Amino acid sequence: MSALLDSLRATVGAPHVLTGVELSPFVVEGRTPEAAVFPGKIDEVAAVVAHAAAAGATIMPWGGGTAIAVGEPPSRAGIVLGMRRLARVIEHEPGDLTVTAEAGLTLGALQEALRARGQWLSLDPPDAERATVGGLIAANAAGPRRHLYGTVRDLLIGVTVITADGSVVRGGGKVVKNVAGYDLPKLFIGSWGTLGVVVDATFKLRPVPDDERLIAVRFDRLKDAGAAARALLAGDLIPNAVELLDPSAAAALGLGAEVTLIVGFDGLSEQVDWQVAALTAQVGPLGGREAATLPPATWPRLATIGRDAFASPAALMTFSVLPTLVADTMEQGAQAARQRGLSSAWTAHAGVGTVTGALLAGREAASVATVLTEWRTIAGAGGGHATLTWAPLAVKSQVPVWGDAGPAGRIMQRIKAQLDPNNVLNPGRFVAGI
Amino acid sequence: MATLTADRKSALRRELTGIVGPGGVLSEPDELLVYESDGLTLFRALADFVVFPTTADHVSAIVRLANREKLPFVARGAGTGLSGGCLPAEGGIVLSMMRMNRVLEVDYDNQIAVVEPGLVNLHLSWAVGPRGFYYAPDPSSQQACTIGGNIANNSGGPHTLKYGVTVNHVLGLEVVMPDGELVWLGGRTRESLGYDVTGLFVGSEGTFGIATKIVVRILKKPQAVKTVLAVFDQVEQASAAVSAIIARGLVPAAVEMIDQLTIQAVEDAFGCGYPRDAAAALLIEVDGLRVGMDAQADRIVAACRESGARDVRAAADEAERQLLWKGRKSAFGAYGRVSPAYMVMDGVIPRTKLPYVLGRVNEIVAAHGLRVGNVFHAGDGNLHPNILYDPRKPGEEARVVEAGAQIMKVCAEVGGSISGEHGIGLEKSDFMPFIFSAADLAFMHKVKTAFNPTGLCNPGKVFPTKKSCVEAGPVAYRPHAIEEQGLAQRF
Repeated sequence: MSALLDSLRATVGAPHVLTGVELSPFVVEGRTPEAAVFPGKIDEVAAVVAHAAAAGATIMPWGGGTAIAVGEPPSRAGIVLGMRRLARVIEHEPGDLTVTAEAGLTLGALQEALRARGQWLSLDPPDAERATVGGLIAANAAGPRRHLYGTVRDLLIGVTVITADGSVVRGGGKVVKNVAGYDLPKLFIGSWGTLGVVVDATFKLRPVPDDERLIAVRFDRLKDAGAAARALLAGDLIPNAVELLDPSAAAALGLGAEVTLIVGFDGLSEQVDWQVAALTAQVGPLGGREAATLPPATWPRLATIGRDAFASPAALMTFSVLPTLVADTMEQGAQAARQRGLSSAWTAHAGVGTVTGALLAGREAASVATVLTEWRTIAGAGGGHATLTWAPLAVKSQVPVWGDAGPAGRIMQRIKAQLDPNNVLNPGRFVAGI
Repeated sequence: MATLTADRKSALRRELTGIVGPGGVLSEPDELLVYESDGLTLFRALADFVVFPTTADHVSAIVRLANREKLPFVARGAGTGLSGGCLPAEGGIVLSMMRMNRVLEVDYDNQIAVVEPGLVNLHLSWAVGPRGFYYAPDPSSQQACTIGGNIANNSGGPHTLKYGVTVNHVLGLEVVMPDGELVWLGGRTRESLGYDVTGLFVGSEGTFGIATKIVVRILKKPQAVKTVLAVFDQVEQASAAVSAIIARGLVPAAVEMIDQLTIQAVEDAFGCGYPRDAAAALLIEVDGLRVGMDAQADRIVAACRESGARDVRAAADEAERQLLWKGRKSAFGAYGRVSPAYMVMDGVIPRTKLPYVLGRVNEIVAAHGLRVGNVFHAGDGNLHPNILYDPRKPGEEARVVEAGAQIMKVCAEVGGSISGEHGIGLEKSDFMPFIFSAADLAFMHKVKTAFNPTGLCNPGKVFPTKKSCVEAGPVAYRPHAIEEQGLAQRF
């Protein structure tokens, strides 16, 4: 290890290699890495990976660290590869509606640079101020506006990655339409750092809309709010967010403990006005009441409210289900928790079928694990799946973080075996044992 | 190509017939001839068999047989591809998916449809249209091309500017893997578990396996559509207008450019109302809510005028709108009036490089003693220069191919791509090094190996390679009947 540390220090400079007690911010699931290394150039990233691979050490890519707890515990402690020094906007040409940025740039800083020129990257994941470009690709992070604007897969058009053997590979390009060769950017989205280290990325952008508004409507019953959400999707309105909150989550957002449907609209002011009026008229007969405009500061809180509903949750699980099953999933999940004497809070990006359940702490891990297993069964019953996005180790030891990827999992294993045969990159943290 | 003995061929024919039933196997040279090319008639390659499966189990059994016999195999849809992607480059079996053409299920509440790969693209929009829905990716061949073929090529179309390409609308795939195993990638939910193998499969040009069921998103038809025609005296003004529209904070559904040569050909053929003396025209479409439609159109008109448009007008009614689109969509058929043959190029550049690159295209084509017509997806920077030529004149086709390669180099030099929607196939595999390094290509090859370790599934495509059994020769462009009627085209 000391030989490796020497070559890492020689590569990036001694001040950019942390060891010993300096590593405390980089402890994951109780495992302390051997070192945390902060390269300042793409070539240095490549050299760090190559050195680590040659020494048989593993690499844990690290952006803002906001999603580092997601995944199975790492199978081996290794080298944390911090990307924070690679934080430039490389190229932003407004006329092309594209931007290329380094992986360590925070989304917040990127959005600020883009907004100064009237554009934005239409992703609003949790913790945007700290989350990095590379991290949001690796985690496939998204927020409420994904309802209209999609996810990373709809926006990422090019990547540069350092592969497991330390070579530099480019996939995609800088143009918005491109079918030359395989769509390599897709491979890295949601791959949790297991196939390569993203060092820069190119995205499609959108113009900042003239106007945007967020409307909250209260309901007595989750079922009615779910029906209202479905009616909204079947109609002519073009919301940019459709969020469903149970009373606990609504209370955490400071809205009062009632089932709440929150709908966003953007566009020209006249379009927003018309849609807000149409929504208000539409939800009334379906049991919606007290439609109210929420302040813009609510937006970033929507992305994290599922997580923040309880001060110290026992676990968080994110479901992907059919949009029509969202309200049922929330009700069944809450019921399953109640039967074990546990409280839960529920939120959903209702239009796209992403549901987050938070389980309240206070009981032993066994009952938490039982509920989580039941939650996963609920997701699967409707053809969906669920991921344990946060839980303490004691719970993770009883409930797999990822669902069963089935036969497709074998293809994923073959991809991993081809691209990282020695398991250098984030081993053991992902689906199918990857 | 491994030559099959007559005995072995007839034994295999019997076995294939046993899988798909009588009437499902072609093996006579005159029958196979129909399948020797796709929409790019420059390349030809003959299969040993063309087989018509009707179920995923058939596909799986055929693929397992091919593996046992070490015969290459490739899936084929309508054959409208433009890069030779579905040609049996090394002989073997062509699986025609055209008999698997059903809409299996439509879930309007969740806005998804499950279809078979041989379904014609437009037929899906027809199927869901009565309920107010449509399938967004609209390649210009959508009257003929299949959704399976769209998956292979990650097809685009005029409206991808706002709505994205095929991959943005595919949630899940049932796939027969290259070893014959039937596997689901993705599913019906928006988020899949694990690597995005669905997204990776789309656009893999038939080299990762054969899709047998496809889960796609269907969209609500917009309340309103507005189409604007802007006429320019200089191509540079039209190019500048594209960026000016974007700079005004608008994302139109489509921004198409048509140059003078093309306008004149179209007017001669169909009379769609484009001014013959214009240097270029932009066809711009916005869609969405009825409210705000006029305001958006006003912004577009202003951007075009600021860029020097001589005339800007919105289509007064649906009939005029259809006529304008007919002009755009029948350009291919119209070229037949001004030239015995032409070859369509497909390249992508950053939008802001349009003026420079269009100038270079003209220079390159002129330097080769040829003419070019341009009609393309300007909003995406997706160029389609059509080089006109006469295949009967010795050496002219070779000059077209050479000019095409130079145009691709220019696209690469300005940071663009060598294909926006037609794919690499056979045509451009040797151009891949223009935009990808050896390390990039080696990485892609490893991904291919993960799916297709034997290489039997659609060999000879995407990667630079020798074109073993493929003939490239002086074959004149032959318009399809529906092109001649102005119903569909190739780009």
